[in-house]
Amino acid sequence: MDASYLDLMMAQQEEVFEEAEGGGGVWLVADLSGDEIAPVTLEAIGAARTLADSLGAYVYAVLLGDGVTPLAQTLYQAGADGVRIADHVGLADFAVAPYLDVLAGLFEEEQPEIVLFGASDAGQALAPRLAQRMGGGLIEHVTAVTLEETTRAVEATFPVYGGEYFEVRACPEARPQVLTIEPGAFGEPFLDEYRKGEPTTLDVEPVEPAVRVQGPADGFEPPEVSLSEASVVVAGGRQADSFELVERLAERLGAQLAGDRGAWDAGFIGAEQIVDVRGATVSPEVYVAVGIRGDTFHNAAIEGAKFVVAIHPDPDATIFEMADLCVEARPEEVLPSLLETLE
Amino acid sequence: MMRIVVPLRRVLDPAGIVAHRRLRRLFINREEYLIEPADHCALEVALRIKDDLGAEVVAVSGQPEPDDETLQRGLAMGADRAIYLSGEGFENADEAVMARALKAVIERLDGAALVIVGMTTLDTGQGQLGLRLAELLGWPQVTGAWSVEAADGRLEAVRRSGDTYVRVAADLPAVVTVPACALKPRYPDGVRLINVYRGEAGMAESLEEWDAADLLTVEEQAPLFESRGRDFPVERERGTRVEGTAKEAGMAVAEALRQRLRR
Repeated sequence: MDASYLDLMMAQQEEVFEEAEGGGGVWLVADLSGDEIAPVTLEAIGAARTLADSLGAYVYAVLLGDGVTPLAQTLYQAGADGVRIADHVGLADFAVAPYLDVLAGLFEEEQPEIVLFGASDAGQALAPRLAQRMGGGLIEHVTAVTLEETTRAVEATFPVYGGEYFEVRACPEARPQVLTIEPGAFGEPFLDEYRKGEPTTLDVEPVEPAVRVQGPADGFEPPEVSLSEASVVVAGGRQADSFELVERLAERLGAQLAGDRGAWDAGFIGAEQIVDVRGATVSPEVYVAVGIRGDTFHNAAIEGAKFVVAIHPDPDATIFEMADLCVEARPEEVLPSLLETLE
Repeated sequence: MMRIVVPLRRVLDPAGIVAHRRLRRLFINREEYLIEPADHCALEVALRIKDDLGAEVVAVSGQPEPDDETLQRGLAMGADRAIYLSGEGFENADEAVMARALKAVIERLDGAALVIVGMTTLDTGQGQLGLRLAELLGWPQVTGAWSVEAADGRLEAVRRSGDTYVRVAADLPAVVTVPACALKPRYPDGVRLINVYRGEAGMAESLEEWDAADLLTVEEQAPLFESRGRDFPVERERGTRVEGTAKEAGMAVAEALRQRLRR
């Protein structure tokens, strides 16, 4: 169907945003993922839009980097009313000191009411220092926001013990209220391609980074594969009977081998293989727990797993509360036929 | 000698708590505390530097009783001094207040070369203490260090950068944050542990109590945050129980896995 006439109609109503004067507003610091705006930034714009609409304020985005000016339109399309750009070769790679210097200088002038970061490595490194420098409050890994309209304080929800429950906090007096937004917690907004604007380019002279990256860490033994990114995980516990069978199952499924803290205590796995909110939090497509009883630490860490198979002899084992498929039997009796069938 | 300050926090052992989703209530069945796992790792990093080069490791804690347990365990692991910050009103200290207090502690100690802090807390997942402190002190920060070496006024650390690990360097003094599980903390030394609990072999003198009121004004002790309650995830439904003999169960699981993985 030819819908070009719709484009024509929309183009006639194209919105071009003129920025309002004055301080305050909801600001967000954009993150990059390769050469694009990171998804968490777009999600944060959605959250910022909700807050700003309740406050009767504008949403401003700050974009730092080298050669990033063309990306500003994506921020407008996602819902930003204004965009500030610090485009400088000295900001090509993320480093705390130069980024913080630019942001603090800008925010001293603009006096934002709320500042949002994505809870990425960069956001998590910058937000506390910015909050401290400006005397603001900071709530990290936020998954939901509401507004207390009388005090204009944001009530932010964040996970406790890896999502076992949530706590709601607010900073009633400190300003700005800085939040880091947990990836995936807020929906990505619709990108309205008819929404456009003229970004303001900041005149910046970045300072030298205080921490110098010297290159790859040769000689450092990292964990084999990041457990948190594995798509299939087979984990054994103290009651796995034979860890060799667990290893064979992992190998057969092409899965990452892991375990609970008990397996680590018993010496079956390394520290980097512990599935536990103190160790690695996983969100694989398939998680097979063999002989794992499933304490609070462990179960909170597999909250994101899509399909959980649990094999444990005790029908009351708490792992079964997490499992999609529950096998109440000794692993040494189940695993041989499981392996045989898979082979 | 290089001085390394390690803040030690305690956290409620989640093995003793149940978050009841249907009743939307938190039950604390056993009130037991652990050293914050990331702080525990931070102490281990500090002790390894001490083992290699010699350093004075000072553990600092500022939470309500029985917080001295945390510090006693820190001393037994090998810390040289343990400072417990106490005082009326200080028990509600949040990360911002604690950062101010740590700055005051470092000034009263006549400085430090390195502060090593756990990257995030186990319960609330907040990681602002170390970085707020770095800002207050005006020191560089290395976040998420998996290994740390410090000598001759210089720090080298390995940290993650995307999918790889990179080596970074900074001048001392600096603040380093360490993730939980970066390495395995040592067990407390048995003899030291006994001496700590008995207060013998100089251990009683190593455990100091400082009044927070001497370090911070009342205004500086006011927390930034207010708690506005709790929320709970929706109740989870129990999965399918596999019936039959163990052999049949094995076959059924294999079939389910095969379908799931489209093998």
